[in-house]
Amino acid sequence: MMMSRIDWIGALAALCGLIAAPLLLGSTYIIGILTVALCFGMWAASWDFMSGLTGRENFGHSLFIGAGAYTAGFLNVNFGIVPWWSLVAAPIVAVMFSLVIGFPTLRLKGPYFALAMLSAATMMQSITVIFSTYTGGQDGLNGLDPILYSQLDYYYLVLGFLVASVCLLKVIANSSWGTLLRAIRGDEASCQAAGINVTFYKIASLMISAAVAGLGGALYAHYQLQVGPDLFTVILSINIIIMVYVGGMGSIYGPVGGAILLSVLTEALRGLSEYRLWVYTLVLIFILFFMPNGLIAPLWRRLRSITS
Amino acid sequence: MVQILVYGAVISAIYAMLAVGFTLIFGVARILNLAHGSFYALGAYTVYALTTNANVPLWLAAILTVLLVAAFGVGVERVLVRPLRRSMLAVLLITLAVSLMVEQVLLLTFGSEARNVPSLVSGTYHFAGVDIGAQRVLALVGGVVILVGLWLFMQHTRLGSAILAISQDAEAAQYMGIPSDRIYSIVMGLSAGIAAAAGILVAPFQSVIPSMGLLPLVKAFAIVVVGGLGSIPGSIVGALLLGYSETIIAFKVSIEWSQIVSVAAVLLTLILRPAGFFGKRAAF
Amino acid sequence: MNALLTVEGLNKRFGGLHAVKDVSFTLKPGSFTGVLGPNGAGKTTMFNLLTGFIPFDTGTVQFEGQSLAGLAPYQIVNRGVARTFQLARPFIGMSVLENVEVPCLAPRVRELGKTRTRAQALLDQVGLGDKANLPVDVLPYGDLRRLEIARALATRPKLLLLDEPFAGLGSSEIEPLADLIRSLHRSEGLTILIIEHKLREFMQLVQEVIAMDFGEVVTIGEPAVIVRHPRVIDAYIGRMEIDEPTPQTVGASVGTP
Repeated sequence: MMMSRIDWIGALAALCGLIAAPLLLGSTYIIGILTVALCFGMWAASWDFMSGLTGRENFGHSLFIGAGAYTAGFLNVNFGIVPWWSLVAAPIVAVMFSLVIGFPTLRLKGPYFALAMLSAATMMQSITVIFSTYTGGQDGLNGLDPILYSQLDYYYLVLGFLVASVCLLKVIANSSWGTLLRAIRGDEASCQAAGINVTFYKIASLMISAAVAGLGGALYAHYQLQVGPDLFTVILSINIIIMVYVGGMGSIYGPVGGAILLSVLTEALRGLSEYRLWVYTLVLIFILFFMPNGLIAPLWRRLRSITS
Repeated sequence: MVQILVYGAVISAIYAMLAVGFTLIFGVARILNLAHGSFYALGAYTVYALTTNANVPLWLAAILTVLLVAAFGVGVERVLVRPLRRSMLAVLLITLAVSLMVEQVLLLTFGSEARNVPSLVSGTYHFAGVDIGAQRVLALVGGVVILVGLWLFMQHTRLGSAILAISQDAEAAQYMGIPSDRIYSIVMGLSAGIAAAAGILVAPFQSVIPSMGLLPLVKAFAIVVVGGLGSIPGSIVGALLLGYSETIIAFKVSIEWSQIVSVAAVLLTLILRPAGFFGKRAAF
Repeated sequence: MNALLTVEGLNKRFGGLHAVKDVSFTLKPGSFTGVLGPNGAGKTTMFNLLTGFIPFDTGTVQFEGQSLAGLAPYQIVNRGVARTFQLARPFIGMSVLENVEVPCLAPRVRELGKTRTRAQALLDQVGLGDKANLPVDVLPYGDLRRLEIARALATRPKLLLLDEPFAGLGSSEIEPLADLIRSLHRSEGLTILIIEHKLREFMQLVQEVIAMDFGEVVTIGEPAVIVRHPRVIDAYIGRMEIDEPTPQTVGASVGTP
């Protein structure tokens, strides 16, 4: 599982590409798309860290994203607090959400964790609409302050957070902690018999996953300068899962690639308007049937085995 | 008061029809079918197309629709779900893809505006000072008839007992020579057919739009969690609980709060009694 | 000498089924004890109760003088009680070496940086050393049983519970595995409690037998005495003739404990 030289070269090339992309492509429109793509990258990587490694599929990752984004919105719009503080508060609030939902449901087997996460996210969506005096209802909260005024600078800030998150998640995943998470995926009862506190590792992973997702949510909120109930939707969670699937589950870096690829692809297909979802659906079916391990991570593994 | 009683009964009957199919296919084949709402939407649209475009008499169109949607369900199980059944996530994603496709097909064929489906019966009844549309009464009666029919089928036919056997212990059933793959197809068809019947019954008084399958899916989900995944009696009790609490809150508080009932019920159930109130143990 | 494990009045009911009924016994340190009984006698349920996988209704379980009641399975492992499963349950999707690394990370034995070498040493000990880097999915059944034992040993147990380690093995595989288990007992002084159906191997391995039937302890004693106990003959050996049509060999193996 250690990184070989080819991995370092690949990581460096990807990083250079992401640094150079806005400079080469220039327009603020494209920088905007790429900034959103990086946010999706953080969400996909954090989903993969918990669910891809332990096999506990989270169908309500948007709960943490929305929690982070609304924290940013509340602090900035309702209380007028300097936006930098959002980046501190959002992960903390997201982690609190993960504890409330994780403790009762992560001890359960089967699809219950997935269902609970999905329901929790949907419920938060309804709550934001019901308590519209505080949350702005369907319109959400508008007029957040940008963190940095230059769009290019903000892109690099988000890129910095993405790189830091991916490095952190990857280091943990490659450590003995990651071995234990993969063992949980393999057989939970055997993990218990091996003396491992399975619940602790699952909840701790969910907390880390939530923190990164919440941070991404706050970064997204300060890019859009607006937060709305759509940040809690199941569709957002499922989009992220599809990105992880395309990237290759359990690899952390693959899902980031999947997120950027699909975000850019979705924008590129904007011209197809009503047929866009078709392409998305067909890509999903194709991947499910012919590339069950995803696209990006398996391709990279093949490249690595050829060169070494 | 009477209004709540009657409207709650109608909603509960519809919910129960959606939930039994959803819980059946999970209990038997461990398929969490996100395309279940599509069967409901397809039911409403197929009966619309057959009556307005092909001028088929309504009663015949209803029967044809149930059969067509059931066949569609079987097809989805055979072609798309079966090869992926090893992974729960892949099944969820493929059924999601089916529901997206159905919605897109409906959108491209019929457009996004609401369609009017003719009622099987017309007029209104006056009942203890309350007006109630005959079609709602029919939906209630139809729902009860279908559920009783399902119960008789499960209890008194060989096929029904085979289905029950698999849902209780798939491995043992296979040893006893019950062909599980065929049963999965049949159950998928059954569950699709019942969902389509629900779609036909509500179509005259619901807005028939391409995305109409989403909300029923969420409701079916909630009912089945409350009643216990895989339990048919549980899903009927769950439907009554949810149908009535939603109606009461919609009348007494507001429509918005009634939307939150289902998800709150799911969360409470998962926290208090994760296997639902009629299901098997979920934790060890 | 003080007992390592003391079980008193252990009970477990599943609905109407009284799966484990007033079970009491003690294990001395360094002892090698077998649990004998027909299918459904409550042997595996008792293992699950002792290891915390199923909570018991009433009774006490004391390990080294401390109660194990209410502890989670992983906590019991970290007290020094390890088990294997009747059906091998490897961590699918990981290598053979990684499978043994996982229990090496249990708090009881965790030594950062030494996990891999310890795991490799354990694999060498059970004879899987050259298969360390294979994916666990390709191991034949006999090797999976050895892997189960390596994983249990990785937590440095004082008491090892083996649930039918010979189940599903051919006769050529049984003898080397029995030698391995015997050496764990002799050279490492491990206390072992074993469930087994194969009478011949069983009677040669163990020093003492706990005979169970219908969830109850029928009798406890040396193997040679046990097989002459009328209720054991009736409950176990009598029924054994039905599925193993060679009562002579059973009798013969019993005669030479």
